[in-house]
Amino acid sequence: MSSKGGILVFSENQDLARELLGKARQTADMQGLTVSLVLLGDSFAAGHDGGGGFGNADAIYTIPGESLKDYNPEVYASALTDIIQTVAPNLVLIGASKFGLEVAGRVAERLNVGCSPWCVDFEIDAENNVVTTQCMVFSGQGVNTYKIHTQPALATVSAGVFKAIDSVGEGKAPTPLDIELAPPVMTVIENKEKMAAGRRLQDAPVIVDVGMGVKERSDLAMMEELADLLQGQVACSRPVSSDRDWFPEWLGLSGAQLSPELCVTVGISGAIQHMIGIRDSKIIVAVNNDENAAILMQSDYGINMDLYEFIPAFIAALKSRSIHLADN
Amino acid sequence: MKIVACIKYSLDTSEIKVDPASQQLLLDDVPRHVGNIDKNVLEAAVSLKEKYGGEVHGLTFGPESAKSAFREAMAFGLEDVTLIEDPFAGAGGPAVTAKVLAEAIDKMGDVDLVVCGEVSDDGFTYQVPPRLAELLGRPLLSFVRNISIEDGNIIADRDLGDSSQSVRAPLPAIISVTEETNTPRRPTLMDALKAKKRPVHFWQIDRDLQLSQDELAQRIHLEKVDTKGVVIHRKQELLKGDNPSEVANLLIDRLLAENILIERSI
Repeated sequence: MSSKGGILVFSENQDLARELLGKARQTADMQGLTVSLVLLGDSFAAGHDGGGGFGNADAIYTIPGESLKDYNPEVYASALTDIIQTVAPNLVLIGASKFGLEVAGRVAERLNVGCSPWCVDFEIDAENNVVTTQCMVFSGQGVNTYKIHTQPALATVSAGVFKAIDSVGEGKAPTPLDIELAPPVMTVIENKEKMAAGRRLQDAPVIVDVGMGVKERSDLAMMEELADLLQGQVACSRPVSSDRDWFPEWLGLSGAQLSPELCVTVGISGAIQHMIGIRDSKIIVAVNNDENAAILMQSDYGINMDLYEFIPAFIAALKSRSIHLADN
Repeated sequence: MKIVACIKYSLDTSEIKVDPASQQLLLDDVPRHVGNIDKNVLEAAVSLKEKYGGEVHGLTFGPESAKSAFREAMAFGLEDVTLIEDPFAGAGGPAVTAKVLAEAIDKMGDVDLVVCGEVSDDGFTYQVPPRLAELLGRPLLSFVRNISIEDGNIIADRDLGDSSQSVRAPLPAIISVTEETNTPRRPTLMDALKAKKRPVHFWQIDRDLQLSQDELAQRIHLEKVDTKGVVIHRKQELLKGDNPSEVANLLIDRLLAENILIERSI
């Protein structure tokens, strides 16, 4: 199989890379295209993932060496640009983490090509060298369809947009490319992990979504109890994460986008930037004591009540009636 | 230190509505303003000036009609604002914007630090700061917090969501700020009065930057062929009752009927 053309996938986040590979594989199979994966830095040795998804790539490329270990976006932009020029794909899917978004913008400028932000779907017309993308615009209030005539076309994709699929085999052994990377101007002094990263909110069937209406950090115990009863996870809005630092990540346009069976929002106002993170939920329940809160009109079941009265009553009723999450 | 603050006269996206019948985005009556993120840009630029000395100049690519909107921005403590008129009426995309800003920053001369928002309120592509960094050949410290300057180097923490990174780069450099970077001040009446005297300079891409519209149009890589509003249908049922327990049981009944929950005695 030729390694030219097709879809190239890059994300420094391996879960996100698996999601992009899932969609890339399905598209490639329908159209007879090749799927390639780029693994750089710490993910260099991760090609063997026991059928976890990297086997969906027909080829895996890497660049050995120390310079990719400290996640400097300048170096990653050089590496990805050179790999793209070697592989010559029609479409490059890049995971829309903050890191990935910077790398994508740099690579697009270096190659003077188009980069579709917030891509949610795509088609490739390899014969005519046209990629069509569908992208969220205006905080997810609209979807634009773009035709991109540059080769490659780039697209950034958020976590939770595409689904990972298991692969029949393991990932191929990575092909090391002999590419010299220029030293960066910016120096990375230190990388720091945040606490509790790595919870898989994407897999949770129920999400208890906590907003600024929840007053004290100790109130989270009640939210955890509710989530536990329903095999769910507690997640939050941007200010609860970024201002109060209660959680390492948030839901919304600039955070995670989820599609659980049930999302119970607690003290969430319903700003569009947040709703994009939960609007693909099957059922949305909103608890908010402000009768004018936008969330009440954007939910299936609205409860205009003090959360400190309602949530304990909800927990008590779930327990006393032996209510469980249905097996779907 | 000469600082340039890049700001944008953006659509107020919280005012965008979708017509449920036609699925059209209703954009015509949406007001514009200097964006929310731009207040963080101005705060970062002005507080660095206050700490390390120098001057802050505003720079924007947009419609001439934006002129009066920059009064409030000016009140943060800008020397002036340079408005480059956008011949594409906002449809150019990030590759065009970055090229125009890069040429303007070159022309302004001796710029030590460029401050951008991580992403504009309305375009929301995240692409302008990295594209600008590539075009200017300057280091970019994106998504910064805790910015300081020592011995000609800028040092900051980058907030990457699930991790953070401490970085250092020599000036001249570019930083991009997030809404968490700082808390923007509220300019006083006195600030606003002083700002009235400060100028808005109008530049044109051809006359002032020697860029042709045709050449810039080559940078429009995404051809928009369709646009649709997203309409989400929810049941919108308000559950009411005499007490929390009654409402909780009503909710459970609804979720049982939806097959989300089941009743199972052990």
